[in-house]
Amino acid sequence: MMYVVLFFLAFSLLLYVLLAGADFGAGIVELFSSKKNQAITKKTIYRVMGPVWEANHIWIIIMIVILWVAFPAYYNIIVIYLHIPLTLMLLGITLRGVAFVFRHYDAYKDKSQILYDWMFKISSLLTPVFLGITFGALISGKIIHTTTPIDYSFKILYIDSWLHTFSILTGFFFAALCAFLSAVLLIGEASYGDKKIYVKKATIATIVVVLFGFITILYGYISKIQFVIDFVSNLYAMTTILISAILLIPLWSSIRKGRRVLSRLFAGSQVLLILIAALTPHYPSILFTTDGGISILDNVAPDSVIKVLGISLLIGGFVILPGLFHLLKSFKMIKILERH
Amino acid sequence: MENLDAARLQMAFTLIFHIVFACVGMVMPFFMVVAHKKWLNTRNDIYLTLTKSWQKGVAIFFVTGAVSGTALSFELGLLWPEFMKHAGPIIGMPFSLEGAAFFVEAIALGFYLYGWNKIPEKFHWWTGVIVGISGVASGILVVSANGWMNAPSGFDYINGEFLNIDPIKALFNPAWFTQALHMTLAAFTATGFAVAGIHAYQIVKKRNVALHKKAFKIAITFGAIAAILQPISGDLSAKDIAERQPVKLAAMEAHFETSKGAPLYIGGIVNQETQEVTHKIAIPKALSFLAFGNLDAEVKGLNDFPKDEHPNVAIVHYAFQVMVGLGTLLLFAGVFFFITLSRKRTWFHSKKFWLLFTVLAPMGFIALEAGWIVTEVGRQPWIIHNIMKTKDVVTPVPGIVYSFYMYVILYSILTIAVTWLMSRQIKSLNNKTLVET
Repeated sequence: MMYVVLFFLAFSLLLYVLLAGADFGAGIVELFSSKKNQAITKKTIYRVMGPVWEANHIWIIIMIVILWVAFPAYYNIIVIYLHIPLTLMLLGITLRGVAFVFRHYDAYKDKSQILYDWMFKISSLLTPVFLGITFGALISGKIIHTTTPIDYSFKILYIDSWLHTFSILTGFFFAALCAFLSAVLLIGEASYGDKKIYVKKATIATIVVVLFGFITILYGYISKIQFVIDFVSNLYAMTTILISAILLIPLWSSIRKGRRVLSRLFAGSQVLLILIAALTPHYPSILFTTDGGISILDNVAPDSVIKVLGISLLIGGFVILPGLFHLLKSFKMIKILERH
Repeated sequence: MENLDAARLQMAFTLIFHIVFACVGMVMPFFMVVAHKKWLNTRNDIYLTLTKSWQKGVAIFFVTGAVSGTALSFELGLLWPEFMKHAGPIIGMPFSLEGAAFFVEAIALGFYLYGWNKIPEKFHWWTGVIVGISGVASGILVVSANGWMNAPSGFDYINGEFLNIDPIKALFNPAWFTQALHMTLAAFTATGFAVAGIHAYQIVKKRNVALHKKAFKIAITFGAIAAILQPISGDLSAKDIAERQPVKLAAMEAHFETSKGAPLYIGGIVNQETQEVTHKIAIPKALSFLAFGNLDAEVKGLNDFPKDEHPNVAIVHYAFQVMVGLGTLLLFAGVFFFITLSRKRTWFHSKKFWLLFTVLAPMGFIALEAGWIVTEVGRQPWIIHNIMKTKDVVTPVPGIVYSFYMYVILYSILTIAVTWLMSRQIKSLNNKTLVET
């Protein structure tokens, strides 16, 4: 059953990055658009994301619940030492969610729209940055896990653990990844004339993602972040990265040709490969403190809990996944089944 | 401010906010599908306009409820890490099921909001029903987790460790049913009266009366039925608390000395130092009867328990008075509504009738919040009744007070924004139908 639980944890993470990522990215794409394109993007986002965006964001709740139910000790470290970036991320999620709904459900479309738009765009950028910072902080080995917090200053314990160059680079990498996913998604959603806007955006985003990914790894290697050093010297991780680099070529050409199904497929597989590459070298340690890695499988919840959680997740999955698939399909967010 | 106080204030503040939005998001879909059904049956355009404007309300409230709920799911750990470390696995079941129910709700809402003229009519209507049912299911599951904090079960507590965990027993803890029933009825009462009150005000102002009267009737019917049923559930809850949490009951009633044939105090000012309650109305033997169904039963007083296990008596007592008082008021208002129905609706033309229900609009929510204050403050100093104290599990991260301020500012702005949006919705609704008719 442990594997069922771990599978759902990884699966929720993947879907959160893909679906919520594309959703955050929509705001980022809008932020970096000319005024004319912003209006087009806003309309397209609403049409594509409107029906599904709330469902996209529930994956993070599923992840959090799995973490605290099955891996309480692990969760405990995250919520204590990364309190601040998580709170800032929540602030972003809140502002973004309400701005999205406000701008479409306000009965009058007047000057207040300008405020909603800015709220939406800025929080769309900052939320994934803080999410990325949180993940970067988890693996950077700067968290001081202590039973006597009184011996340390506030700054050392609760700020230096996450506010450093590596985590910030990870944050921007993730934001760029979101923008990339969204731009690729929007290629297939725009009307014929607008398509080239997103082809261009997706091309730029691809370059930015690869660039940020490269800088992040390079910086991590130079500043001797253990996770990155092990990552670079791990055969599986490097093979995965190599595959993803090779797959950039068909991704690139499918973007240039504006192929909606193929470009999405390749974009999604990039995310899958990046996640596999990031998580495998050290599994089951996904958290690094100054004392080294902490295994997610240490101090897990008792078997009785894992069993019930696994069964709940399976039942939940059987109810939710077909519904979600049907929703995505009905509103044409996935087009795998259609021929073009 | 101490970290513990700041964390408790933040938790209370975010919950007070979330509860309102969650309740509206949970109950309003039912109003919406009734209006929708009436439209399908009658094809009267007023019902379609009403359904569509209520659905916008549902969408706005659902999102504010969802984002504040997401924040809360993190806050549980961010503020009370030690609590979640131990309790998380035990009460994971209601939370994981709640996650699933919430997911179903979001999917169904996606279909409903965007499905007009796109999916078959009947299926579309049913997705609205699913929104309502899964919303109520989420609510019940979350309350069940709260019930576990009042009636911890499904584990053995040996030497400070939680052993032999049985998550299913924890889900169906002894308090889950009474609490979930009480809360569900409260949600319907509060939302019913609030929505009805808003429409009543529009009728007072003589704006688009035909539509608002129909809206009022749908909302108030739900609210009135729930308000009339609520005392039965309240009685079950009281008897349950008398048995399991006698300190809480004693605090609710400001009952200091153990006595047989205990009187029930209505109102009164509590002096915790001198243990006196002044300016009260005392009903002889009523407390013994209400708590145990026996006029001469012994009711334990606060002094039978160590002082450091007392909650803040004054707050709990006042909140309880507010809840019961307003609940009773709404019960009478509900009965009054049904009487007017049988009186050939002559009172329906009286401005006073609509003014009355306008004034009642916020009362349900005030009672509901007061009820949560009773159960949450009444459980203190425990976070898990008789097992774990709140002060022992607060986060070691200093400066929570700033996070509290941030939430106060954020949620205050959100409250203002949502209220403003709602008023714009109503304004546009009134203008729209004026043009159409």
